[in-house]
Amino acid sequence: MSTTELDTSPSWSADLLPDLTTPLARLVLAIADDELISGHRAQHWTGVAPSLESDLAFSTIAQDEVNHADTLYSLLVDRDADDARSRIDALGLGRTPEQYRHAVLCERPPGDFVWTLARHWAYDHADAVRLGALADSSHGDLAGVAKKLLREERYHLLHADDWFDRLARESGERGREEFAAALSDVLPQALWLWEPVEGEDEVVEAGLLSTPFVELRGQWLEGITAALESADLADVLPDDLEPTYDEPGGRRGVHSEDFTHDVWPEMTALHRDHPGATW
Amino acid sequence: MSVSAPPVDVAAVRAAAASVPDPELPPVSLGMLGMVHDVRLEDERIVVELLPTFSGCPATDMMGRDVKDAIVEQVDGVDDAGRILVRWLFEPVWTTDRINDEGHARLKEFGIAPPTGGGVVTGGPELGGRRSLPLTLGADDPDADPAPAVTCPYCDASDVTEDSPFGPTPCRASWYCNACDQPFERFKPL
Repeated sequence: MSTTELDTSPSWSADLLPDLTTPLARLVLAIADDELISGHRAQHWTGVAPSLESDLAFSTIAQDEVNHADTLYSLLVDRDADDARSRIDALGLGRTPEQYRHAVLCERPPGDFVWTLARHWAYDHADAVRLGALADSSHGDLAGVAKKLLREERYHLLHADDWFDRLARESGERGREEFAAALSDVLPQALWLWEPVEGEDEVVEAGLLSTPFVELRGQWLEGITAALESADLADVLPDDLEPTYDEPGGRRGVHSEDFTHDVWPEMTALHRDHPGATW
Repeated sequence: MSVSAPPVDVAAVRAAAASVPDPELPPVSLGMLGMVHDVRLEDERIVVELLPTFSGCPATDMMGRDVKDAIVEQVDGVDDAGRILVRWLFEPVWTTDRINDEGHARLKEFGIAPPTGGGVVTGGPELGGRRSLPLTLGADDPDADPAPAVTCPYCDASDVTEDSPFGPTPCRASWYCNACDQPFERFKPL
């Protein structure tokens, strides 16, 4: 794939983008982009999941996550304006790859079903922690959206926890081993969900985010560590649980080819090639 | 002195908005779902504030258009949809508690168990505090009367099983009735 020259020039819709550097935009994009890209990866299982229930689950999760992103993007545009829809679409689909702020974990390919479930569990617990913090945001609409999404995300958490129990406790030795291997690969990357957004001090000072990401990371670690210990799987935790994020990651626009050469071109092709297309 | 437009009856606007059927569940109206939050006039503009249900509901945009059409059709003195602004609010948060009794009855007639009953998520999430594992389930108020059990919309039996909390749309879960051997859907409590 990497030998292909990709056109990553700004989209025709770049003029519709709001200022991406405001504290609100920096915070919202990190979370909305996580949801958008997670949704795109979840939809992989539509039609090919191991069971009909799994297919329904990941298809619904994909639909939920993409729309959660859509709802969050709408906080950055004038929702009363006639062109609000176009502006929201431009945020989701009209940015260049380095303008996306999701964590690299979200862009990784689905792997096998066990790996998908390991990421699902780690990600959705992180999402619940940060939505809990956002529900206290000084920004009324952001707090309202967070409260709404928390209610919907509970179903994702139930699903993730149910599979955690099945794989960690009920699936026999092979299932446990495969799940442990997947978690060992996922968790070091999941720590980067807590890479601070650019200029996070300002975001916290403005009250947009009630608690800095590194403190939320502690809450998340406490929860997942307890679950792993209760399943006798604590040794899948990485040695360094407190990376200092010296090198920039996804929150600062640095992505892998899994995004730049896979998710991004596929996700944005229709939008970029057919300006204003609707269906 | 210019002739001003005739006054618009706000109650009629509200009734028109409330009468719009849910495109995916036509027997149920936006009024029954508790989605119409406020209707008011801002100068010449008619503002209709709606509460979105599930974020992933693909019918949301259609509902907004249908509300404008219904107002133009049903309300005297309004013949230009351009003066109507449909605004979707994030607060207050829509929950399934807002669905009224008639909505419950219509859902059941349509073959969908209404969003009451135990064994599933019914309480609001714990906000602000630490997340706990496992999830806290059950009603917010521990002293409240237990919610009625989920029953089959076809035969009213309570010998039912949840196959999956997911279903054909974001708002529906997949259930099975062991008494009449029918799969059925249930409106997910939110």
